Amino acid sequence: MPIEQGEGYPPELSRLPPGRHGLPREFVAHNQRERLIAGIAEAIAENGYSGTTIAHITSHAAVSRRTFYEHFSSKDECFVAAYDTVMAELRERVGRAFREQSEWPHAVRAGIAAMLAFLVAEPNLARLCMVEALVAGPVVVERYDSAIQSFVPYFQDGREGRSPEVLARLSPTTEEALVGGMMSLISRRIIAGRTAELESLLPDLVEFTLTPYLGSDEAAAVAREA
Amino acid sequence: MRPSPGRHRLSREFVAQHQRARIIAALGEESGVKGYRAVTVADIVRRAGIARNTFYENFSSKEACYLTAAEYALEELLDRVITAAERVGSWPARVNAGLAAFLGFVAAEPALARICIVEALAAGPSAADRYERSIQAFVPLLRLGRKVSPHGEALPHTLEETIVGGIFWIVYQRFALQQVGEIESLRGELVEFALTPYVGAEAARRVATTPPCRADRG
Repeated sequence: MPIEQGEGYPPELSRLPPGRHGLPREFVAHNQRERLIAGIAEAIAENGYSGTTIAHITSHAAVSRRTFYEHFSSKDECFVAAYDTVMAELRERVGRAFREQSEWPHAVRAGIAAMLAFLVAEPNLARLCMVEALVAGPVVVERYDSAIQSFVPYFQDGREGRSPEVLARLSPTTEEALVGGMMSLISRRIIAGRTAELESLLPDLVEFTLTPYLGSDEAAAVAREA
Repeated sequence: MRPSPGRHRLSREFVAQHQRARIIAALGEESGVKGYRAVTVADIVRRAGIARNTFYENFSSKEACYLTAAEYALEELLDRVITAAERVGSWPARVNAGLAAFLGFVAAEPALARICIVEALAAGPSAADRYERSIQAFVPLLRLGRKVSPHGEALPHTLEETIVGGIFWIVYQRFALQQVGEIESLRGELVEFALTPYVGAEAARRVATTPPCRADRG
């Protein structure tokens, strides 16, 4: 599913060119924050979380060090803001794609496709939310855990309307394990520098996640639909 | 071999080995308290009850200590899983026994398990490489399932690593929720999760409801 460039992006993820623009103070302040958020994503993509300094962030954002401290008290705080922004966007895209389909198996497929498309289109943000969040310490790790768990209900929807035999064999942790397996595969591909190939994982991930509900054959059929 | 008379002190080598083990356990425990990134050498030294010098005689840095610990933890974990799996015959029974041993290790050695499963992604690029190796280490055991599966090589290429990733995630979550003590109760669910793509849900459930020690004898 291709992403229309620029359309539907929250302002945080697009950038105002540096320099004077004669804009109202409040707007500029808001926009500086957005630039810092985009800046930390770029800085982390270059240096990793641990290697990123405030100077890297302000240089990518083209704002002064003082401006940075007007918005955030630390690198960690800036990262948390960036993480929340990226995850909100990712969740919004997945949710929208999922809701556009009337049948659950196709909704899962569309949701996974939307996630992969976003990560491929935004490799810096992909790295930030899927890899660096785990390096960034306890505050972000908690957010990461709940963000991953927030995808669980999409799969739980698949229990609806299944036969008693299917329901009996689905264990309480089924969805958690499916989401965890999927996220782990995606993170590892990003770590391996293979973000651009993520969309090729779509059939595998669809078959993997649908199998417990539909059985292998039906899951494979949905996975292989063009 | 009998110790020479009059020699009651432990050999230097034994003490050194023991110290390393204590340092490794201390790193795991401290990571559990504050997260790997925030752990300092001073924390490790205090928890291990050793001198700071002793730490640096064994490791050049926290990172070096982590990498040794991760290597050791993975070796131990793999050794237990393989030993348990080899005791039984069929592939599904091996998965059952292997997962029981896996969870038994996590319950018995939470500090080591934390190092190779939870902290691996938090500890930076070289640790991510260890995490990759941890995942890959279990892939061949699962891949054998393609031989007994009617789907065989038609199963997704990434199936094995995704299953291992899912199991690691569940363990990771139990650490986050501080429910590691009850982790062995997840064996049945995880066996089903791992076997279903290969043998179907019904057969997977039958294996999952068999205690792994019973399968040992049968």
